[in-house]
Amino acid sequence: MNRFIPFFIISVLLISLVVANLLFGAVSLSLHDVFRGFQPGSDSYFTIHEYRLPRTLLAILVGAMLALAGALVQGVIRNPLASPDILGVSHGAGLAAVVYMIYFPHSSISWLPAVALVGGLCAALILWWLCGHRSSTIKLAITGVALATFYASTVDFLMLIKPLEINNALLWLTGSLWGRSWPQITMLLPWLVLIPCALYLAKSLNLIHLGEDTAISLGAKVNSLRLIALAIAVALTAAAVSICGPIGFLGLVAPHLARKLFGGRHQALLPATMLVGAVLLLMADLVARTIDPPIELPAGIMTAVLGAPYFLWLLIRTK
Amino acid sequence: MSLSTHNVCVGYHGKTIVNQVSLTIPEGKMIALLGPNGCGKSTLLKAMARILTPIKGEVHWCGKNLHQMPSKGLAKQLALLPQTQPIPEGIKVKDLIAYGRSPYTGFWGRLTKDDHTIIDKVMQETGVTALAEQLVSELSGGQRQRVWLAMTLAQDTPYLLLDEPTTYMDLNHQVELMHLLRQLNLSGKTIVTVLHDINQAARYCDHLIVMKQGQINTQGTPEAVLTKDMLRTVFDLNAQIHRDPIANTPMCIVEDK
Amino acid sequence: MMLSRLPFAWQCIVLGASLLIIAWISLFSWSAVQITPMDALHALFNMDNTSVPQHIVQDLRLPRTLIGILVGASLAAAGVVMQGLTQNPLAAPSVLGVNAGAALGMAAVSTIAPWFGLLGTSVAAIIGGGMTWTLVMVLGSAWKSGNDSSRLVLAGVAISALCAALTKASIIMAEDQASGVLTWLAGSLANARWNTFDHLWPISLFSLLGCMALSPTLNILQLGEENARNLGASLILTKLAGSFLVLLLVASAISSVGSIGFVGLLVPHMAKMLCGQDHRRFLPLSMLLGAMLVVLSDIISRSIIFPMETPAGAVLALIGAPFFIYLVRKRTL
Repeated sequence: MNRFIPFFIISVLLISLVVANLLFGAVSLSLHDVFRGFQPGSDSYFTIHEYRLPRTLLAILVGAMLALAGALVQGVIRNPLASPDILGVSHGAGLAAVVYMIYFPHSSISWLPAVALVGGLCAALILWWLCGHRSSTIKLAITGVALATFYASTVDFLMLIKPLEINNALLWLTGSLWGRSWPQITMLLPWLVLIPCALYLAKSLNLIHLGEDTAISLGAKVNSLRLIALAIAVALTAAAVSICGPIGFLGLVAPHLARKLFGGRHQALLPATMLVGAVLLLMADLVARTIDPPIELPAGIMTAVLGAPYFLWLLIRTK
Repeated sequence: MSLSTHNVCVGYHGKTIVNQVSLTIPEGKMIALLGPNGCGKSTLLKAMARILTPIKGEVHWCGKNLHQMPSKGLAKQLALLPQTQPIPEGIKVKDLIAYGRSPYTGFWGRLTKDDHTIIDKVMQETGVTALAEQLVSELSGGQRQRVWLAMTLAQDTPYLLLDEPTTYMDLNHQVELMHLLRQLNLSGKTIVTVLHDINQAARYCDHLIVMKQGQINTQGTPEAVLTKDMLRTVFDLNAQIHRDPIANTPMCIVEDK
Repeated sequence: MMLSRLPFAWQCIVLGASLLIIAWISLFSWSAVQITPMDALHALFNMDNTSVPQHIVQDLRLPRTLIGILVGASLAAAGVVMQGLTQNPLAAPSVLGVNAGAALGMAAVSTIAPWFGLLGTSVAAIIGGGMTWTLVMVLGSAWKSGNDSSRLVLAGVAISALCAALTKASIIMAEDQASGVLTWLAGSLANARWNTFDHLWPISLFSLLGCMALSPTLNILQLGEENARNLGASLILTKLAGSFLVLLLVASAISSVGSIGFVGLLVPHMAKMLCGQDHRRFLPLSMLLGAMLVVLSDIISRSIIFPMETPAGAVLALIGAPFFIYLVRKRTL
């Protein structure tokens, strides 16, 4: 029974953040305006329906996906410092997408998630190749960080030598929800299939938590499970990155918070992580939009301000 | 129901540790695997628990190749307690023990009433009922070892494989554990355990298997196995064999060099 | 490599000569107005006041090259000292967050209090870099066990990410003053003028000499802290002096040309390959190599999309990041 109280609290938090995201922004609306905004023809229809509502939904989806990816990666490689962005997968996906946008500016934007997926998978394979099967927590993290630095500097370089195409890419790259609306949500929808796939792995992830030998002895197929879970994590990350750009530290922090609140059983942890991720990104985006209106900060900045200190704390704790 | 190896060679990274071992585990007995460090006793155990795949040869379960059988089905027959366990974060004792039921549960891991009954039973047997709601990461080393044993017991298998289960325990907990294993054995389980304490093995087990340099040196009852010659050839020890004054089993006393 | 077999004096001469040649090339290459190699020499020794190319060389190219040399030497020396102090081959100003901290300090001052001017931003760079450096060192000293050097790097990376996020935020929130900050962040020599050089050279020269004075102590530190103490080195004094010099070097470099990364990481390793572990030797070689590297990447940065310029910092990052990966891999962690 105890587990339902945090679930309840976090759901309430989620709902109130959704409401707050609809209410506040460059112009604050009243609750009444918000409700009327759902009906076509009203004054606030454009603000709510075309702008704040899709953005809020997107924050929930992207937050949940990134957080879930982080939980899968942490679950599979049992490494508290791991997450797709620390391991360079996000930046690999971002690099692929930037290359695509710069060199194929006329092709359809709906290919972006697939391109990002290829980039993310390549980044994961490169990391695997560099680190091998059993490397220490710290070595994996530091190699991932080094790779992420490389991808990021390649992106910077490309953007600096191709200044004409910069607008499109720059807007996309900042890890921001600005200017995203219904088309991006429809782009994201097919990828939501991955969420039930991930939940299906919950039980086996519990066993991996017990160590490889015990997991095998309890009947888990450890190697194939690893591959599937990592592939899902990469795909979730790539899809989210292809919409919002790399939003750092969310995939790292959300699973840790969820584990603190809901314990380590993946049946509870995975859904909880998604809730926490959505709450964090909604919060980050709300702060980023309202801290100094009408100027907007990218939500990725807020997650980094929150996440980097947390990463430091984890680093101190990891033995 | 039987577990046997046929000319198995096992090793890591291409280096053979266990060499051409053929062995049949006597059913219904309590068996100890003994031998000096690096003799391959843990490696052999891992091959029997399908953690390691043999380089050559086969491990058979009921006459079929163990490594080609569906893993989930085997998980209801063979349970392994590894020597070292990770310390999972945010997992309660009861949750951890419940994971032992996972070969029986559906994809979401929902527990039935029977599952709960078995979990309660093994918690009582291992004396961890009072710890049920605590986090595994907050337990002491000895408590944690018992919780892991409970998890393995919850798997409810006729065969139980243990890799040096007494290593990190105080003496009183070691004794408790060996008694518990003995009781489980009397209730019908076949138990194979790697031990490094020869006297403990002789006192509590019916069948000793002594390994040296990747091969089986000798096996049989404690009386037959525990001899001066064996101790000299396998462990390079000069020792006397006496009777344990309480259990009347053979025990060795090491002489000065 | 042939060069590594030469005696030390010859190595210095060869590298010094190459530096001069590269510097000379950078004076005339890839200019919108045609400059001949002879123009470059005339502008230095025999100025013809009516020649436009020679004026360009003297007013724009010469300060740019000189600043490139100073910045390169400074960052390389800072890298050597940081690697010596932390006994960590991955230590460098950009890796351990000093660059990002200095940039944050500058961004904060120039967006919140722009009236402080150049001096204000330099001081802010020192303070910002100093704070991150202290933080990284405090965290670093919290880990005494085997793997702590990699943790130090991860801590630096996290602090860099934090500072970068805050820097971006302050730039976006104060858009009107932001253009200046953005050039700094990119790390470009394009805006280097004589007045920047006038501010830069006294500090750089002082700190570079200071590093040379510190190099014998850094040699002793290589033996491990306890041995160093046995041999009579004052650890605290060395660490304080070294940290202070690093901050001066990095902050003066960054406030002149912006955040140029990876020089401090790459160059000390190249120098060590040439002349071994003796700081008294590889510190000066590092300075020469660092100067060459920065001037060279400045030339490359002008050539990539001529007549436009790519910031030299971006070129360096592209060379430096794979090297970082290589170093991480080479170490047995």
